[in-house]
Amino acid sequence: MLGDSPKAQEVFHTTLREAALRAAHGELPKERFWLFRDARWRCLEATEADLQPESLKLDEHDLAPHAASQIEQMEPTQLAVWISAAPDPQRTALALFYLDEFDYDEILDIADLKLTELSRFLVQGRRQLQAWLDGNFPEATNV
Amino acid sequence: MRSAVSRAADSPEFANQQNFDRAVAALVTLIPVPPETAEWFAEKDLVVGSKWTWKKIVRNPAVLAISIAVVVIAGVSVFQVLSRLNDFPGSATARKLLTVAASTRPVMLDPVSTEAGTLSDLFFMKHGLEHYDVPEEFADFRTIGCRVFEDEESLRIAQIWLAEKRMQLFLFPADRNTKTGAVLRFPGWRYVSQEGWVGAVKEQSGVCFMAALRGGQKDLEPYIAKTKE
Repeated sequence: MLGDSPKAQEVFHTTLREAALRAAHGELPKERFWLFRDARWRCLEATEADLQPESLKLDEHDLAPHAASQIEQMEPTQLAVWISAAPDPQRTALALFYLDEFDYDEILDIADLKLTELSRFLVQGRRQLQAWLDGNFPEATNV
Repeated sequence: MRSAVSRAADSPEFANQQNFDRAVAALVTLIPVPPETAEWFAEKDLVVGSKWTWKKIVRNPAVLAISIAVVVIAGVSVFQVLSRLNDFPGSATARKLLTVAASTRPVMLDPVSTEAGTLSDLFFMKHGLEHYDVPEEFADFRTIGCRVFEDEESLRIAQIWLAEKRMQLFLFPADRNTKTGAVLRFPGWRYVSQEGWVGAVKEQSGVCFMAALRGGQKDLEPYIAKTKE
């Protein structure tokens, strides 16, 4: 969500500290994913003051059959930065989806999205990443 | 929806998408977690849940609601079982007649001043009622009036009003087995109570006799005990 380790750590600790305090006072919300929602809003707040990505139209390519081998060439931190650079709520959708910990209903709940919106963000994200992969790892396209 | 998913599953585009997602998800797992944050997950129990205490369990609304429901159901069951324990053949009719006793006024009966035991002949001669005999425990009491009537089940019932403590006596046919027609007998005296009235019931020769008065079982017991002595 942030693409910045120290900032992510700060958000993580603040979220847990706040949760511990609320638990101590018996004020934990009853909704199931409140902690994730809370963490998400803290992430968004943390990036509010940062430089915002320019609103430009990214290239989009159809998914290539060799996309998996292109992705293997990526550094994990590159992917983290790529996802964190996406505008929200697409950023949240991609982060939650690729964490592979939540099903669709849970992602919709945490990110306050509709199914069509989630679907659009994911499709768009895949096509944009494919375009980025084609631009950065072109040799793999010839395999 | 299922057929659409099934069709999509066979398409190369869908296979590409699945491979793409799997590869990205695998790469996401490799994104380094800051060591200080990773320490939080070193132990299995990140947050130790508060222990359930008896106080907490009892205060839980669900537990409370279930407990109350169980207590009510148990209470009703016990009440019904206890009620059934005192039941005997004819007890339902006896209870109905206690209600009749509570609503009867002396003017409703034919005035008859005699000993209760002598009314057996009257019931037989005038109404054709056999074995409508007043037991010896109550045979010597003076009567104020009597009548014979039919209840809603067409049972012919004899009612006698005594001067003694405004006691009322009832004679009615004993319950019978619906298949064989045999009289359902029971030994000795049995007590029933209804709306502040109590009755002592005895079966003899296919006819039930009930002595009824306003009060409790202890008010009737002396009359029954008198003959036992």
